[in-house]
Amino acid sequence: MGDLGGGATAVTIRVHRFTARPERAGRRSSSPFASKASRASSSPFASRRSSSPFGDSPSAPKPRRRTRGKRWTQDYTIAVHGGETVLDCLLSIKRTLDPTLAFRYSCGHGICGSDAVAINGTPTLLCTAKVTQYAKPERSAHGAASSADERFRRTGSPSDGDADTDTNINTDNASNETAGDTSATPQAAPHTNHPSHLGVIELAPLPGFPVLRDLIADIDQMMAQIKRLAPYLKADGKLARTADGKIDMFEYLQSPEQLKRYELLSNCISCGVCEGSCPVYAGGEAFVGPAALIAQARFINDSRDQAADERLKAIATQDGITACQSVRACSRQCPRGIDVGEEMWQLTTKVNGD
Amino acid sequence: MDSECEETYDAVIIGAGAAGLSAALGIVRSERFRQLKAQGHTPRLLVVSKLQPLRSHTGSAEGGIAASLGNLEHDDWHWHYYDTVKGGDWLVDQDAARILAQYAPQTVVNLERSGVAFSRTADGHIAQRRFGGHTADYGKAPVRRAAYAADRIGHQILYALWQQCVAEGVRFAEEWYVTDLVLDTEPNASQTDGTTDGTQGERRARGIVAFDTHTGKTHAIGARNVLVATGGAGRLFHTTSNSYDLTGDGMALALRAGLQLEDSEFVQFHPTGLAHTGILLSEASRGDGGVLRNAQGEAFMQRYAPEHKDLAARDVVSRSIMAEVDAGRGVADPKDPDGPKDCVWLDMTGIDKTHMEEALPQVVETIRDYAGLEPSEDWVPVKPTAHYTMGGIPITTDGEVYQWSDGARWIVDGLFAAGECSCVGVHGANRLGGNSLLDACLFGTRAGEAIARRLGETAEMEAESPQQTPQNGDEPGADFAKEYACVRQAAKKRAKSVTALLADAASAETTDTTTGTDTGATPEPAADAGQPRDDNPYQLLAELGTTMERAVAVRCDATSIDKAIKEIELNLTDRAAALRPHSDSPAFNQELTAIWEVGNLLQLAKAMLRASQERHESRGSFARTDFPERDDGCFLLHSMADAHGGVSWQPVRIVDMPPQARGY
Repeated sequence: MGDLGGGATAVTIRVHRFTARPERAGRRSSSPFASKASRASSSPFASRRSSSPFGDSPSAPKPRRRTRGKRWTQDYTIAVHGGETVLDCLLSIKRTLDPTLAFRYSCGHGICGSDAVAINGTPTLLCTAKVTQYAKPERSAHGAASSADERFRRTGSPSDGDADTDTNINTDNASNETAGDTSATPQAAPHTNHPSHLGVIELAPLPGFPVLRDLIADIDQMMAQIKRLAPYLKADGKLARTADGKIDMFEYLQSPEQLKRYELLSNCISCGVCEGSCPVYAGGEAFVGPAALIAQARFINDSRDQAADERLKAIATQDGITACQSVRACSRQCPRGIDVGEEMWQLTTKVNGD
Repeated sequence: MDSECEETYDAVIIGAGAAGLSAALGIVRSERFRQLKAQGHTPRLLVVSKLQPLRSHTGSAEGGIAASLGNLEHDDWHWHYYDTVKGGDWLVDQDAARILAQYAPQTVVNLERSGVAFSRTADGHIAQRRFGGHTADYGKAPVRRAAYAADRIGHQILYALWQQCVAEGVRFAEEWYVTDLVLDTEPNASQTDGTTDGTQGERRARGIVAFDTHTGKTHAIGARNVLVATGGAGRLFHTTSNSYDLTGDGMALALRAGLQLEDSEFVQFHPTGLAHTGILLSEASRGDGGVLRNAQGEAFMQRYAPEHKDLAARDVVSRSIMAEVDAGRGVADPKDPDGPKDCVWLDMTGIDKTHMEEALPQVVETIRDYAGLEPSEDWVPVKPTAHYTMGGIPITTDGEVYQWSDGARWIVDGLFAAGECSCVGVHGANRLGGNSLLDACLFGTRAGEAIARRLGETAEMEAESPQQTPQNGDEPGADFAKEYACVRQAAKKRAKSVTALLADAASAETTDTTTGTDTGATPEPAADAGQPRDDNPYQLLAELGTTMERAVAVRCDATSIDKAIKEIELNLTDRAAALRPHSDSPAFNQELTAIWEVGNLLQLAKAMLRASQERHESRGSFARTDFPERDDGCFLLHSMADAHGGVSWQPVRIVDMPPQARGY
């Protein structure tokens, strides 16, 4: 990435940050194999998950606990040209202002699916979001509060702001840290009145996912939900071998029309944007989530797959497709252009048609 | 995932891209594994990866995977074999290339049968397209050999392989960073420790040390079978198409374990990266009429390649662009008008606008999104972008890692590698499009099958003398503990170093005067005003990228190489050693892993520069302006570089085809 220094204008990146307290004995498992704190122990889905082959520990579900730690809001003001992505800005901050800022990123061009966060409250990918698209003037002295209002409204899990947390991330008394660099602008300066300042972009972890550090969310639950429903082709399972320079078996035949029925669905990058946008899922209700259902729709519509009935049966549950309320917020930000809401509706129709 | 990480596994795979996942499937789908499973002795397998597997860089591959399926026109694996050898400028091990071409159809068919959503012909077969360098009848005419899935073949393959691993119940340790590869030397063999020149064989894989980025805990994982599949090292260069995670970790692990890297000086640059983003603009942009122009607007490719012009081979076009830049005819990226003039223009304005939208949707989208330009009206800044490392950890065609010493290959017992981090010798001096996914999947599978055979042998030996090794679940016996003592020791050392690094961060933090107010939380120190602790791995990564780009990107000479070696030895190495994280919190301390990554890249850069220094010729992707000709008399050899600046040479395996000129 080119240096952002010497740019014609500036932007303030406001990050909702979090650092977990060092663990105490028995607080949290040290291994990715072990169970993570489940989101809502009261949910039928959570308890069911424990007994699934891909679920967590077969032991009794642990009481839901939120990781303790420090929460604060930090502003970084950096020079930009205008063409940058929000990821470019964060990488520049990491390099020149604050190497401790934590966020996932990998490919940088929208295919790896690792960098989904909430930008101004909207779940989307850091690497495809343009600065000019999201920067907006701060409207009042309580800037953090006003943008918090525009954020996705959380519908469930009132216990989210429980006593386990030191401070709620939605609090409006954010402490605005000045990054110790010459290009950092003190919060007191009214950015918005400065002619060359683009405004503020507010970043928070993906809604509906437990935060692990800064913008890094815990996606284990989403992955467990995807895996729980057998997200792989079920066909005859036979593989080709080579003998005397020739193969003894050929590909399954599939017409271009048959491919078209699921091709777009197979482009899902498991980023979690649809899940963070879904009021049912992000609200903490018992719901397997749109990502896991899209993975099923991909195979249900694949002419090679022989398990469509099984799959439809598996998702026709309270916490399966039935939990979808057809809000269709999931469709709006899909980085691969999948009309997730429509696909959910198609699944509902198929399930009900049986 | 229902249990804690165990202390030992029968096999550990590092990396979860196409090569690592193919190897895992190669193991669990093997006859031997299924037998052991049926007998109740399921071998324990663990895949450790620094990313969640679906984030692996395999997912970014766009074009296709080569195989002589002949679904659209007659094709023959012998032609694929020839094209691969010729494309690699005859620095290809022909025994390996022969396997690559012969087993390619099986590999692609099995990917399809694993779920890859290949594009299709009208009659339902896997669709295939033309790709640079793939020809019919030994170079006579282009042939449709690359099987594709629109422009997302990598994503499709990555997902299908992961899905199959889920089906097989393969166990993953995700977002764990491997810090050490642990080998030992068999006691009754030569006593040399192998760190300098003691390459007398008898070295054995004993396990790895892995750092759980979620918790900051260091784990000792003992294993008699370890496979390295960590991908390439594009992050050595400022401009690269590679993801931010391609930091050559596996190659550096091998170097630090006293092993060598083969042909590390060969790095493929794709000619048309989108200016400084490095994001690829497909070759199709030129195939459909795009023209490269210099600062004067001249369509310069007709001077360098009068016949093929803008569609000459990748390395030819990249070198021509660099020659224009070096001659002062480059342009600056419009996004950074005061920056270096190291780009040229890609002029697509002559392409019919409707056709452009239909035929090049991804190219058009990338240019609009990441350059903010309109390709039907604006010229687009492009520059060569580091794309693929042809070299890597030397392996046999069964994926076994070896050391080259005294004119022979010495296998490291139980150590395997696959994919871009390895070098089986199929790409030689320049890789053909469509051959990288094929290499990763095919030789990954073969390595997995080789591991499965070893697991079978071990099981048989244990059945004969059960007291030698404890059964699964037993208390580890004395011999057992001894066997993996070196792994525990390495882990202890690593844990101590982590504690020290974090303690330094903590002591720096106490001097910080943050003014956290309302939240009652003490924010992280953003930076210390009073202390000169402004160095960080991200800054160093950027400087290393610039250094390497200036020195060896696309072309080099003795002076440029020497300059880079000095910069690394006199500046960057010391600064990297002095790096400390700025936060003492061990969980998700990305700066800590970045410090290790910088160390790995520096290690790798040194080996690469030494190999570049020693190769006094130009071949394939490697161009020395002071030695512009290919020299088969002296350099029809693979370079074998170690961590101490040593470079030895291994003859190329020529089986069927004597070297010829490489003209297209």
